[in-house]
Amino acid sequence: MLIRDLYALSLHNLLLHKIRSLLTSLGIIFGVGSVIAMLAISGGAKQAALAQIAVMGIDNIIVYSKTLRKAGSSENARSTTLEYGLTHLDLANIRKMENIEHITTARNARIRITKGIEPLDVQMFWVSRHFMTDLNCKIVKGRWLAPSDFKNSMAVCVIGKNVKRKLFKLGEKNIIGRKIHVPGGAFSIVGILENNSGTTIEGINNLNETIFIPSTTGRQIFTEYTTETGPRMLKIHHVENDLMVIKVQDTQVIDHTAKRIRSLLEKTHKDKDWGVNVPLSLLRQQESTQNIFTIVMGSIAAISLIVGGIGIMNIMLANVYERRKEIGTRRAMGAKKRDILFQFLIETVFLTVMGGVIGIGLGFGLAASVTHFSGMPSDVSLWSIIGSITISGIVGVVFGTYPAWQAANQNPIQALKAE
Amino acid sequence: MENRPEIIRLDQLEKTYYLGSLEVPVLKGIDMSIRQGEFIGIMGVSGSGKSTMLNILGLLDVPTGGHYFLDGEEVKNFSDNHLADLRNEKIGFIFQSFNLSPHLTVAQNIEMPMVYAEMPRKIRRARAIELAEQVNLGHRLRHRPAELSGGECQRIAIARALGNRPSYLLADEPTGNLDEKTSDEIMELFKELHREHNTTIVMVTHNPELEPLFDRVVHLRDGRVVKGEG
Ligand SMILES: Nc1ncnc2c1ncn2[C@@H]1O[C@H](COP(=O)(O)OP(=O)(O)OP(=O)(O)O)[C@@H](O)[C@H]1O
Ligand SMILES: [Mg+2]
Repeated sequence: MLIRDLYALSLHNLLLHKIRSLLTSLGIIFGVGSVIAMLAISGGAKQAALAQIAVMGIDNIIVYSKTLRKAGSSENARSTTLEYGLTHLDLANIRKMENIEHITTARNARIRITKGIEPLDVQMFWVSRHFMTDLNCKIVKGRWLAPSDFKNSMAVCVIGKNVKRKLFKLGEKNIIGRKIHVPGGAFSIVGILENNSGTTIEGINNLNETIFIPSTTGRQIFTEYTTETGPRMLKIHHVENDLMVIKVQDTQVIDHTAKRIRSLLEKTHKDKDWGVNVPLSLLRQQESTQNIFTIVMGSIAAISLIVGGIGIMNIMLANVYERRKEIGTRRAMGAKKRDILFQFLIETVFLTVMGGVIGIGLGFGLAASVTHFSGMPSDVSLWSIIGSITISGIVGVVFGTYPAWQAANQNPIQALKAE
Repeated sequence: MENRPEIIRLDQLEKTYYLGSLEVPVLKGIDMSIRQGEFIGIMGVSGSGKSTMLNILGLLDVPTGGHYFLDGEEVKNFSDNHLADLRNEKIGFIFQSFNLSPHLTVAQNIEMPMVYAEMPRKIRRARAIELAEQVNLGHRLRHRPAELSGGECQRIAIARALGNRPSYLLADEPTGNLDEKTSDEIMELFKELHREHNTTIVMVTHNPELEPLFDRVVHLRDGRVVKGEG
């Protein structure tokens, strides 16, 4: 029997019993649907993690200061000085270590940036020269801070791309050369910087919402002491460094270098007012959690597909029993055993593949709604689609063979007598 | 009649069922011959082995003894596939309860044996139309069996049986489920096929009133032919 005749003479049957066929395939539909959704979500998470890691730089070690909320002196004191974070000494010590290519630093100016009187969620950092390249950012307009800006302590700045939107009117096209007024002075904008991932980095947050000025200028205008005032109290923060981006020479031993930095900081700091991140090991960690996730998910998928397959097998067996008379009649009219086998097998595979296709749709929907409601990124890969359809077909063959074999081996005379 | 070619010859044909250790002999040495173009009735009391014999003639069942010659060739030790091919090419089955597929249209039902003969779709469809017209149901091609009367269903089943121009038709009580009037119409159709197309027909029936319609009646009693072996 030819495949296209099969449609007319038997698959038709399944399409007529749409609801029954749908219910039959439900196990497969949910199995495939959940797998597609989970793969999409884990794929999305992976991409987000990769993007973030890419920003932090694969050959970097990120060391950052943590704010200590606890006051150093007594509670009821009107004025307290908080000293914390990475110090100049730390920087000098780390510089002396092996496997260090160079170190980029950044210091938060800790000033309130406003538009008129409205405070903006924008921060200003003074940074050293390699900052942009070491953190994989790019200039979308204008230029990055030039060596002469550093040398002459110029009052210039580069702004993150979101800062433009927050500070200027929508229509304003060219803002290069415009001035930004902040407590402490006015800075001419020389460039706009973009960080593709839009993710945050510990110690600095979102690069797209930051204004960058030369470190030399920053040190002149601002001090390392910043004050925080509240009702009947004054807090003075003393922070020497907020962020160090340490580029290493050899990434093979990056973990070792990071370990030495950690033990150095542990020795010299009384409190845990610092943190160390190694993007490369975050990447490895991400990969291993990804693998665990994949294994767990694969098992769930396998179980649901087996359960779905058994359900289909069950229904196909009942189907064979119900259709004995049809089987007997077809045999009387010249159908060979293999024609009957093929017919029932194709019916089962059709059911599971259709289930797979619907499941893919469901998975898309689930992933999209998770993204919509939780903001978790998702990404349905072509491979997960091809894989799902293939596996659905295989489930059909595996669980359809026995019922089809039963159908083919019905005794024609007994089958014809069936009601 | 005598000089027509012999299609079927049964020589001391036996069929015994075995129920555990119990032997149930049903056919105990049948000798019979059927010639091309004959219209034969098989009669006998219930349990006399009529259906058993028809199933053997239809190659759905195998005898436990004796010989069955079909078109001069002994049907013995044929493979399952070969038997299926022979059923497809040479035999047209007509059942008491029609056995049409309810989810297929009249045209698709008629096409069924032609599909197994791997007849091209267009030729198949044309032949289905021709056959439906032959049984006076040319206007019902797109209908489904549930929309037809019992008599109409049996006509479609007859049209289906004729699809591959079989050597003979086998009908097991084809009018058993029909009322008298419809029954007469179906018998009229068989007679017409026999008369005008010279179709060979072997029909099992209980109804003694039908006796005069047959060229010859084979009476079975106690597993033997008592009259009409030909
Ligand atoms: N599979 C079987 N196993 C055992 N005995 C069987 C089997 N099939 C038929 N028989 C027996 O063979 C005998 C003949 O059966 P068959 O169906 O050929 O009778 P029949 O002449 O067609 O009767 P009816 O007119 O009632 O249809 C019966 O006694 C029946 O019990
Ligand atoms: Mg019978």
